Amino acid sequence: MNRKLTYAFIYVFLTISAFVSVFPFYWMIVGSTNKSVDVNKGKLTFGNQFLENFYKLSENFDLGQVIWNSIQVSLCVVVFSLIVSSMAGYGFEMFKSRGRDFTYATVLLTMMIPFAALMVPVFRLMTFLNLIDSLWGVILPMIPSVFLIFFFRQNFQQYPKEIIMAARVDGASEPRIFFSIIMPSMKATYAAAAIYAFLTSWNAYLQPLVIIQSQKNRTMALFIANLASGYQPDFGLVMMAVVIATLPTLILFFALQRYFVQGVLGSVKQ
Amino acid sequence: MKKIFVILMLSVLLLGLVGVASAAELSGKITIWCWDPNFNVAIMEEAATRYNKINPNAEIEIVSMAKADVEQKLNTILASGVKKDLPEIVLIEDYNAKKYLESYPGAFADLTDHFNYSEFASYKLDFMTVNDRVYGVPFDSGVAGWFYRRDYFEEAGIDVSELGNITMDEYIELGKVFKEKTGKYMQAGDPYDGGLMRTLLQSAGTWYFDEKGEPNIVNNPALKEAVRIYKEINDSGISKETSGWNEWVAAFNGGEVASVITGVWIIGSIKAEESQSGKWGVLPIPRPDVPGSVNASNLGGSSWYVLENSENKDLAIDFLNQIYAKDVDFYQKILIDRGAVGTWLPAQKGEAYSAGDPFFGNQKIYVDFAKWIEMIPPVDYGLYTYEADAAIMGVMPDVYSGKISIEEALKQAEDQLRNVIGG
Repeated sequence: MNRKLTYAFIYVFLTISAFVSVFPFYWMIVGSTNKSVDVNKGKLTFGNQFLENFYKLSENFDLGQVIWNSIQVSLCVVVFSLIVSSMAGYGFEMFKSRGRDFTYATVLLTMMIPFAALMVPVFRLMTFLNLIDSLWGVILPMIPSVFLIFFFRQNFQQYPKEIIMAARVDGASEPRIFFSIIMPSMKATYAAAAIYAFLTSWNAYLQPLVIIQSQKNRTMALFIANLASGYQPDFGLVMMAVVIATLPTLILFFALQRYFVQGVLGSVKQ
Repeated sequence: MKKIFVILMLSVLLLGLVGVASAAELSGKITIWCWDPNFNVAIMEEAATRYNKINPNAEIEIVSMAKADVEQKLNTILASGVKKDLPEIVLIEDYNAKKYLESYPGAFADLTDHFNYSEFASYKLDFMTVNDRVYGVPFDSGVAGWFYRRDYFEEAGIDVSELGNITMDEYIELGKVFKEKTGKYMQAGDPYDGGLMRTLLQSAGTWYFDEKGEPNIVNNPALKEAVRIYKEINDSGISKETSGWNEWVAAFNGGEVASVITGVWIIGSIKAEESQSGKWGVLPIPRPDVPGSVNASNLGGSSWYVLENSENKDLAIDFLNQIYAKDVDFYQKILIDRGAVGTWLPAQKGEAYSAGDPFFGNQKIYVDFAKWIEMIPPVDYGLYTYEADAAIMGVMPDVYSGKISIEEALKQAEDQLRNVIGG
């Protein structure tokens, strides 16, 4: 009896949580099918403006270019960030040196500094490097991810050291061990990290905001912010743009979902 | 080794993907930063087309972004002291203009000798003037109007011919009568939004700050009156409480309220509900009952500024001059297409301003607005309008509940404001 009651509570709680998580998605999709006036009024049923909104959005704005910019940024960040961060995490975990713990602590501490505080220096640096208004100016500062270094190190901790020893005995070089043995056997970790890196770069806002200057180089997040501003934004269009911006993340997540759960739980194929 | 090679190849591929940043800039390019694709951006595009007919060698790029983004980027660039890749022209909201002009001296071009400022609405000049030098080109007006539903007022037997010169107290009384007769609200609004407060202050020719920039709160009769009006509106039950822009717009789009007191820029949102065409009208706003107040005010609005260190500063000034201070036809076009009321006065003699608007029952609303624009008392917004707004709104809960008197509330708000701005 008591157990049933507990279950009932759990189910009620989960149902509410599910509703809270799913409702914004529902609202977003419904909004993309309605006129701005109806979105304003809080209409909760599907309308017939879906194609109209899509047409208006793609007709009036260079949507293709915006999406392409975001994809370039995200892909580059994912690939480079994964390589750099995993190598760093591996190095911190596997090689002992005198300053290691101090360096690691210092690197972790930088997580505490919000980007807003770094904005002016980053802007000056990018001006110096002549990377203002270029996508590389957005990508480069996002590559070293402290969180990913930490994440990879945590996962490498559980990696059986015997395998590395065995490889060394067999005469494999350190890069070879990393690229041929470690990397392939930690797919789940990499998949989870890829989702994280993709999400942060896809949704990045402040950093592209200060670096990107011209219309043709802006990313999806900047585009949506622009669309949603003004005396009378067209919320149907905004919702449509948000739907489009959400799709790549959804696809990536569903494709890597299985790995993601494993990766976050920190399991290693043995 | 093969794997490394593959990774290297992949990197090269990705590097190629992004390409090289375009380097060489054409001479004679004007870059403009502004917000609102349907308003400022579209208007600037119209201006650019017109200027290109005069000067085909100018290339004009209009970068559209959110308002907060324009501010963020401008602050970053000016704070970093970088002098390249600056936009030529930026749009700045009037309430914030002085903050930029005083925080970054020398960053904006002195336009005093380039424009005939007597042709612009006088209330647009105070906040863009520092040490008698003028730094901006006045753009859109937020001239306030009392937008009302003709059908609702008729139903309640209200005679609008007597409403041209009333006080806020009379307005509230009217709201009570109206609610009794029809059961509908007179207005909608967030009791913690400072918009109406700023409208009332300006109609009395005063602000949160005095001419020296010192907080002017405790001894400001107009402000005291405005706070009393806020409480009165809240107590009387004539206002449907909404929170945020969307709910507010929905209240009048949905026909739940009989009127809206706000800036002229709301017309676009009112007209979005096409089924209400012909049912709206505009009256002069009710004034606060203090000496010197008028039935005209302003809410919001923004102006163009040229950056001193931008590459094509002179070209940008010429552009603004040719269009925003010479082209009467341009102002007619943006009024018809975008509902933008400019503040260059000669434009208001144009024909678009004298036409009746079917949505407003063929009332010649822009003739009225043009008249009210010239009545708006000029005030210097100072550096910290939004900080002051927040300080006042912070004490409103206690005012509404009756926990503290208005005098006490103003004293608390002034202390709070002085803490924030370090005065």
